[in-house]
Amino acid sequence: MPLPTRLPLRRNALGRTLSGLALALALTGPASAQGVLRIGMTASDIPLTTGQADNGGEGMRFTGYTVYDALINWDLSRADKASDLTPGLATAWKVDPADKTRWIFSLRPGVTFHDGSAFDANAVVWNLDKLLKSDSPQFDPRQSAQGRTRIPAVASYKAVDPLTLEIVTKNPDATFPYQLAWILMSSPANWEKQGKSWDAVAKAPSGTGPWKVTSFVPRERLELVPNKEYWDKARVPKLDKMVLVPLPEANARVAALRSGQVDWIEAPAPDAVASLKAAGFALVTNLYPHNWTWHLSRAEGSPWNDVRVRKAANLAIDREGLKEFLGGLATPAEGFLTPGHPWFGKPSFKLGYDPEGAKKLLKEAGYGPNKPLTTKVLISASGSGQMQPLPMNEFLQQNLAEVGIKVDYEVVEWNTLINIWRAGSKSDSARGGTAMNYSYLIQDPFTAFIRHAQCNLAPPNGTNWGYYCDPAMDKLFDEVRTTFEPKDQVAVLQKIHEKFVDDALFLMVTHDVNPRAMSKKVQGFVQAQSWFQDFSPITMAK
Amino acid sequence: MILFILKRIGYAAPVALGVSLVCFLLVHLAPGDPLSAILPVDATAEMQAQMRAAYGFDKPLPVQYGLWLWKVLQGDLGTSIATGRPVLAEVGRAVGNSLILASVATLIGFTFGTFFGFVAGYARDSWLDRVASAIAVFGVSVPHYWLGIVMVIVFSATLGWLPPTGAGPQGSGNWFPDLEHLRYLLLPAITMSVIPMGVISRTVRALVGDILHQDFVQALRAKGLSEFGVFRHVVKNAAPTAIAIMGLQLGYLLGGSILIETVFAWPGTGFLLNAAIFQRDLPLLQGTILVLAMFFVTLNLLVDVVQTALDPRIERA
Amino acid sequence: MTVMTPSSASLATGDPVAAVAAPEIPAVASRGYWGSVLRRLARDPVAMGAAFVILCIVLAAIFAPLIAPMDPFKGSMVRRLRHVGDATYWLGSDELGRDMLTRLLYAGRLSLFMGVLPVVIAFFIGSGLGILAGYAGGWVNTLIMRVVDVFFAFPSVLLAIALSGALGAGILNSIVSLTVVFVPQITRVAESVTVQIRNRDYVEAARVSGANPFTVVRVQVLGNVLGPVFVYATSLISVSMILASGLSFLGLGVKPPEPEWGLMLNTLRTAIYVNPLVAALPGVMIFLTSISFNLLSDGLRSAMEVRQ
Repeated sequence: MPLPTRLPLRRNALGRTLSGLALALALTGPASAQGVLRIGMTASDIPLTTGQADNGGEGMRFTGYTVYDALINWDLSRADKASDLTPGLATAWKVDPADKTRWIFSLRPGVTFHDGSAFDANAVVWNLDKLLKSDSPQFDPRQSAQGRTRIPAVASYKAVDPLTLEIVTKNPDATFPYQLAWILMSSPANWEKQGKSWDAVAKAPSGTGPWKVTSFVPRERLELVPNKEYWDKARVPKLDKMVLVPLPEANARVAALRSGQVDWIEAPAPDAVASLKAAGFALVTNLYPHNWTWHLSRAEGSPWNDVRVRKAANLAIDREGLKEFLGGLATPAEGFLTPGHPWFGKPSFKLGYDPEGAKKLLKEAGYGPNKPLTTKVLISASGSGQMQPLPMNEFLQQNLAEVGIKVDYEVVEWNTLINIWRAGSKSDSARGGTAMNYSYLIQDPFTAFIRHAQCNLAPPNGTNWGYYCDPAMDKLFDEVRTTFEPKDQVAVLQKIHEKFVDDALFLMVTHDVNPRAMSKKVQGFVQAQSWFQDFSPITMAK
Repeated sequence: MILFILKRIGYAAPVALGVSLVCFLLVHLAPGDPLSAILPVDATAEMQAQMRAAYGFDKPLPVQYGLWLWKVLQGDLGTSIATGRPVLAEVGRAVGNSLILASVATLIGFTFGTFFGFVAGYARDSWLDRVASAIAVFGVSVPHYWLGIVMVIVFSATLGWLPPTGAGPQGSGNWFPDLEHLRYLLLPAITMSVIPMGVISRTVRALVGDILHQDFVQALRAKGLSEFGVFRHVVKNAAPTAIAIMGLQLGYLLGGSILIETVFAWPGTGFLLNAAIFQRDLPLLQGTILVLAMFFVTLNLLVDVVQTALDPRIERA
Repeated sequence: MTVMTPSSASLATGDPVAAVAAPEIPAVASRGYWGSVLRRLARDPVAMGAAFVILCIVLAAIFAPLIAPMDPFKGSMVRRLRHVGDATYWLGSDELGRDMLTRLLYAGRLSLFMGVLPVVIAFFIGSGLGILAGYAGGWVNTLIMRVVDVFFAFPSVLLAIALSGALGAGILNSIVSLTVVFVPQITRVAESVTVQIRNRDYVEAARVSGANPFTVVRVQVLGNVLGPVFVYATSLISVSMILASGLSFLGLGVKPPEPEWGLMLNTLRTAIYVNPLVAALPGVMIFLTSISFNLLSDGLRSAMEVRQ
């Protein structure tokens, strides 16, 4: 059936080519506008646009670091080495040598928000109040929920002068700059202009970032255009426009890419990768600090309190088989960190595939064919960094069943899982689950280790979901925080990682390689070894 | 006629009230504290107290219902847990998209359904009748979500003729009546139309058969009325019921669109319901269901009135 | 009203006029009558074919452990998504390398269970309520039937999803939701048939003669009402099958790794580009079962409609 409706499409394409040519003739030089990029995200809704994004790392990637800046940003310009911190809205920062809890930030002069108002130290104080002071008029519970737990070190803060900011931490904390890289600055003037309503700000947000929001249709799309006045001229976006579309279902994403509805999709379904390549799409992957784990609850009554059970589960997983299932788009876990990571150390417990060893450990722990271990695990149907959670967990379920661990799943939506993760394994919302499938960003000491395992970061103070508490571990964490010399810090971090693996604190499964599939028209993209990406250098070929 | 309409409205009013009660109770059906069903799990203590007071969860159930109903009448369907946006705004955006899809599907289904129905009814027990009946049985027996997947496999994955998901280019977007958007509408609308096609062709076949066998038609024929004249009679007598069924089908499709909209990622009320279910967003679930059910009640009323107005045989008491 | 609507009007089950479609009631439901219905049914090749298909599917589900070639839960990553016609996996293998034939056979157990059970439960509850309303009349009738009206105001798919969505996922919750969907439908048919029977002379006579109301209900009403209501209920099974699998397809019913047709259809969706035939198979099973129940129910209806 030759469909007549296909004709106009061709004509449109032709029209686009012609107008593109005309544009190319009219404008010369690198500053010329270079097309529209449409991206299919894995989130089921547009992540929060008011500042602190929700939807995990993906939210920060698309509506966080695009529209906003932090005092300290991530350097996302290189694909060949792990991303590290770079000056953002602060040009320099240092800890007071006399008092290691006092940090001084020199702010970048001449920066304005998208609404034209100026950025200064008072704006930073205002933004920290927005997250931490529940009685401030601009306090936003939604952003606070996302941002509060990222900066547990903050004790107080004040503007010393318009371009100098002082923050005091509760204890000496060498990892503090990493925490601060999470905190994004929204415009106080814009909030006033939008009638002091964050709901209104969501539709017309204003930050200092390289992208400005022009159109926001909830659940459907977000349109961003370059901020030509961006303070870092090298990072003024080259595209005309970037459109973000939520497509939570892996299959729908692949379909949308194939039909030309979008030019770029996050996390294509592994089964579709071969056919996408055959159809002329590019598959971009790179290492990034990610792990895909089961976070185990250590609350009373959890079977995971027995180290033998934890080790047995870790030995039951056929990680190579899982990699095979993922079309090779994964790195099997050898520890909590990616293999070869500078903090990896030399753990004695090896994460091999050893079902017999697992059965033996379970038997020692008092389980067996007559008394199988039965437990409930919370998983999501999709989500940032969760890879292909449903079939992957089904694979794990099979593996675990073979050694005698019967797992029952409770499937929830990704944002709901994040909420449960923040509420803790003892909360009612965990619905009796003793573990949660969660993928972690492991960019710095805090996100990698401390937030999961420090005693006083159990909910509601932090995100130690499982209520793990070991004084020996806390002592190591204190050591990291007070070791300001990088080389010595690495040695402590290695000790921590060894303890993570040897005590089998998590079910450590695999690391993602951050696959994205895109049309060959997308050019100039450099996939940083990070959860976040820089969209500024991208252009679209005609 | 006016009396009849008033009587019908008088009958629909208590039903509408009952529907609102069922929707209200949905939140209380959910296991656990109803407060936890309408709040994010990490809500602050102040927020909890505020919501408890606003919803009156400490008051007896009938009072709570009254409070809730009062809010609904003022257009306040609550706030979505997942997005923090008003439910009414969320549903309002989606309902237009669903209406377009369901209307086009009903129209396709009605056109083909009446055609097959007439053919089968006229030529009873012929091979034409058997083919038409087979199509009808197929229409009512096929799991339409599966048919949707098959359509995607054939027309998108294999042939690459039509886009498989969404309502338009560049993300879903609001539906707009141009050819580009029409391409997105085709697959879900055709898939959906199979249900009303089956139902309507079965109904029309039975109606036409019955009418043709009635004495007055035989009498007309005997009087020498042309076949076209007879056909006109049949149409006139079958139309009210067929149109009534079509109207109701529109309501069923709108209410039952969740499966099709999920398969095709069509940004309508069904897609919204799906999101509400997975985010355990009960206010959104409740609000969407309420709007759809109320639409259905109104549609029923309308169909009743139109059918009575068209059908000379029904008394307007 | 002279409206005649086919009962198996599938998703139109919420259709208020569908109730009128209950079959004609014979003057006295004697054993001879039902015998003749069965004889007529046996001469209907389409209905018999459908019955045979249903029998095969039910037997296959019951004896799945005996006839299935493999373990329904055990898969192999290297042998995933094999095509139909594979030497080892006759109907291919699924996304986790499990044998499709085995899983399709096993899946029949839950799919049939979840499709048929709600109708069976609703048949008992709905007949009870309908007969009560029809026989008692008066305010009892008004009370029951007005509540039924409210549930009729929801399109059936919407009601099932509203209840399942609020109750949460799970087999039990799905069965409860679907039962609630079907009870009003069956109640309405049972009530209308009971009212017809009640007004017949012989029942009226029995009532007037002072017979125990329970005896009247048991002997006269039950015998004459349950038959037509049963036939109506059989036509709902097809809808129930589609809805139950639909709930699982949405993730509201059966949870992995249990095999169930709707859920398999869902989990295999990512394979439509790689192995479309295997991805479509579970839907074929739902369709086959649903259409067989529809055809059998149609056959039963026309066998009953012929007057003696």
